[in-house]
Amino acid sequence: MKGPRKGQALVATLMVLPCSLFVLTFAFYPILYSFWLSLHRIILGLPQLGEPFVGLDNYRDLLHDRVALRATVNTFVFVLSSTALELLLGLIVALVIHRSFTGRGTVRAAVLVPWAIPTVVSSQLWRFIFNDKYGLLNFIIYGGEVSRYKAWLADPFYAFVAIVVADVWKTTSFAALILLAGLQSIPQELYDSARVDGANAWQRFRTITLPMLRPALLVALLFRTMDAFRVFDLVFVMTQGGPADATNVLQFYGYKKMFAEGLMGYGSSISVVVFLLSFSVAMLYMRVIKVGFLQKG
Amino acid sequence: MKRVLYLFFIFLLLLPSCQKESPEKVKLHFVTWKPNVPEVWEEIYRRFQQRYPEIELIREIGPHSSTAFHDMLTQKLKNRSPDVDVFLMDVIWPPEFASAGWAMPLDDLFPPEEREEFLEGPIMANTYRGSIYGVPLFIDSGMLFYRKDLLQKYGFKPPETWQELVKQAEVIMEGEKSGGREVYGYSGQFKQYEGLVCNMMEFILSNGGHIIEPDTGKPALSKARAVEAVRFVRDMIIGRIAPRGVLTYQEPESLDIFVQGRVIFHRNWPYAWSVSNDPEKSRIAGRVGVIRLPHFPSGRSYSTLGGWQVGISRYSEHKEEAWLFARFLTSPEIQKLIALKASKAPTRKALYSDPDVLKVNPQFKDMKDVFLRAYPRPRSPLYPAVSHVLQRYFSRVLSETDLDIEREARQVDAEIEKILSMVR
Amino acid sequence: MDKIIRKRLSSAGFFCLVGLIVLLSLSPFFWFVDTSFKTEVEVTSVPPVVLPSFSLEFYRSAITRYGLLHFLRNSFIVASATTLLTISLAALAGYALSRLKFPFRVGLLKSLLVVSMFPQISIAGPVWRILYWAGLLNSYPGLIVPYVTLTLPLGVWVLTSFFSELPEELEAQARIDGCGYLQTLYRIILPLSLPGLFTAAILVFIYAWNEFFFALLIMTQRRYQTLPVGIALLQGQYTLPWGEIAAASTVATVPLVVVVFLFQKRIISGLSAGAIKG
Repeated sequence: MKGPRKGQALVATLMVLPCSLFVLTFAFYPILYSFWLSLHRIILGLPQLGEPFVGLDNYRDLLHDRVALRATVNTFVFVLSSTALELLLGLIVALVIHRSFTGRGTVRAAVLVPWAIPTVVSSQLWRFIFNDKYGLLNFIIYGGEVSRYKAWLADPFYAFVAIVVADVWKTTSFAALILLAGLQSIPQELYDSARVDGANAWQRFRTITLPMLRPALLVALLFRTMDAFRVFDLVFVMTQGGPADATNVLQFYGYKKMFAEGLMGYGSSISVVVFLLSFSVAMLYMRVIKVGFLQKG
Repeated sequence: MKRVLYLFFIFLLLLPSCQKESPEKVKLHFVTWKPNVPEVWEEIYRRFQQRYPEIELIREIGPHSSTAFHDMLTQKLKNRSPDVDVFLMDVIWPPEFASAGWAMPLDDLFPPEEREEFLEGPIMANTYRGSIYGVPLFIDSGMLFYRKDLLQKYGFKPPETWQELVKQAEVIMEGEKSGGREVYGYSGQFKQYEGLVCNMMEFILSNGGHIIEPDTGKPALSKARAVEAVRFVRDMIIGRIAPRGVLTYQEPESLDIFVQGRVIFHRNWPYAWSVSNDPEKSRIAGRVGVIRLPHFPSGRSYSTLGGWQVGISRYSEHKEEAWLFARFLTSPEIQKLIALKASKAPTRKALYSDPDVLKVNPQFKDMKDVFLRAYPRPRSPLYPAVSHVLQRYFSRVLSETDLDIEREARQVDAEIEKILSMVR
Repeated sequence: MDKIIRKRLSSAGFFCLVGLIVLLSLSPFFWFVDTSFKTEVEVTSVPPVVLPSFSLEFYRSAITRYGLLHFLRNSFIVASATTLLTISLAALAGYALSRLKFPFRVGLLKSLLVVSMFPQISIAGPVWRILYWAGLLNSYPGLIVPYVTLTLPLGVWVLTSFFSELPEELEAQARIDGCGYLQTLYRIILPLSLPGLFTAAILVFIYAWNEFFFALLIMTQRRYQTLPVGIALLQGQYTLPWGEIAAASTVATVPLVVVVFLFQKRIISGLSAGAIKG
């Protein structure tokens, strides 16, 4: 018995080796490397200064960096508001496309379209819709009264809302699909017997659908949260973080510091913080969710 | 399966090498942006190829937004990429390119007596710690465009001071409104990006303030003059006469409402002249005036120096040919061609009295005065980092109306000082 | 009688809701497609022009002046190569993970899940430096390598869940006939799981086609830029070419929309594969 199992382990190791190598070299090693970089002062534009070791200086600066603080708050507000909306709307959409009716396949495909669109495209698209002079939104709200047109992206609050709207539009369908799969796994008999017991639609929803949907909801929540955490394309295209840093988020700020301002060391300290933040959020979720195969092993 | 993978890896390895070409002629790589008048550049390349048939010119075309172009070019230079020989530099880059060792010093090739044929501002911008790193190709500087017809209608002369500008704008806006036409007083570039720094610097300098004091090298945004100018922009320009949308405008958007005839005063670079007078693109062709930017009562007019330079990569393997091309591009002949066909303002002083140039571009006569005064942005190899701090500061105080500007400015001064101290 | 009316009403309400969902999903993008067929004047006119003059001018100019076909080609090369490589590696790993027992199996699955959630910025600096060191910035492999890394988790998870649903008896037979693991994988498992492979391939392809962050970082030369980078940077200093942006966006998106309409079932099953088993 021992022989074949050992052989199996060897074969398995060889089979997962290429995949593991990729992940180790280009995902895990960079995480450690980021931490190493963050302990140095590295200015891309000034190679003659070398890369001196500065200990935790970058982190100390980061603590006093108001823009970083703002970006952190923005990121969390963005994550909370966009995921909450996406799950809520996603649930509605899922309930609708769960019912069977003619043309359901087409409707499902239509719902998927925003999900498939490149984020850069949807960002340009919404920037066009929110335009202050000829944007569709202004026309819908104010009609031809050009003088009342609002410059949405010029206002710190509305600019943020615009980014949330663009994100919700694009990713609600993803949440809806996960929830739809969850709905499909609920046995119809539960509903039938509840109906026999005289439960009305709302009661059935509360006592059967919601509890049974919990795992799917959590999974959707996890994926959407982690995805919202790395929002970048929307900000890059729609606002460049403005006005007044109202839409600056961690991933964009880190990018700017590292690659536009050339402060590689300082930028890396942002990277490390972003990693730790998102990692702890993910761990938190993972404790709550028990994902399929993990139990099987 | 394995074989497929193996073949695939070979395929991947082959990809970059497919790009190599045979080395018969000298291949000169020129990194430039998408021009907005491509015909002129075609003409330039044609003439160059005719004159130097032994050099093959290869164009590497980058995005025409300064920031994106900067990122692309600097990454190539960081890579010591051999496919950069000659490149265009925005006016704010020479210190960075010089101290990073990317741009080749041109002191011997471009001696002081030749430099005297050029306007002083651009030469200054290309000089870093006593050496020169680029040859100015054309100059940009902020100027005020206005609606001649509207000012005439209300009996105004073009404004000398910012206060006059606001007053005139308000009268005209009011008057037009009662006639059923809605116009705005002012448009400029106030989005959180490099252009915001240019716009705000003009306000601050024209009030006798500074971003960085020339004598001490210390940031001076929290000094009373600078704070006063910023507050004026927030309360009088953006709060009163400009549409709030200017907080999202770069050059194209701000010019767009001007050529639609919906703005009285417009701040932009010289190219706006030809656009706003082109009947195909503009509803106000022939009704546009241009003048130097206003100033505050106690200051004098300043405008931000912009424009593009030609530089040569230190890693170029064809420095001689690179210089031939750089000199050709900045020669009187080509500068004249660019001035005639693309309305870009030349950097050679002599062209401002050239009758052909003035015939096509009568505005240059008025503009020369502005160009002579154009003031460079803070010159530091860390300018990109400084600029980002400035962009955030200006965007914050302009769009959040209840902020204490002085307090913000003090913090920004400290941040800038910290950045500057890294290279002192 | 009353009941019938109520039922009619509620089903009318239901179809209104369906209509609303479809409208909201499609109309914003439709607006951009519409815009791409307008003329310069129609793009910015108020009130907006709904029926465009079906001009192809923006497409022409996007191709000739902005190099749209270049971007398209680069996107296609990078996305296909990523898909091929990821699916091959993921099939190997997925088979081991679903069928074989080995010590760090759970650890590997967990770490793949973690990788799929990394914010790109947390590895951006080092990845850039590694590629710089290897001379791979501005080359196809330079972008394909990070893409493969980032799509492997997705590929492995989808395929592992597909493989584990295949009945084990088939393989048992094959093993008795003397097939090794690799042979079993590509004689028995792969042909049976073509739908799964296809699903994973679609998802990986869409990811690589749409990715922007690393493409922006690594492809700084226009010659190598992919569609998202091209579209994001189309705006010049002196121009805001909405029409060309809309045209390029349409070109970038239409293939995906077609895929979605053809394979929506596959995509939905792939997206929810493995996720809903808790």
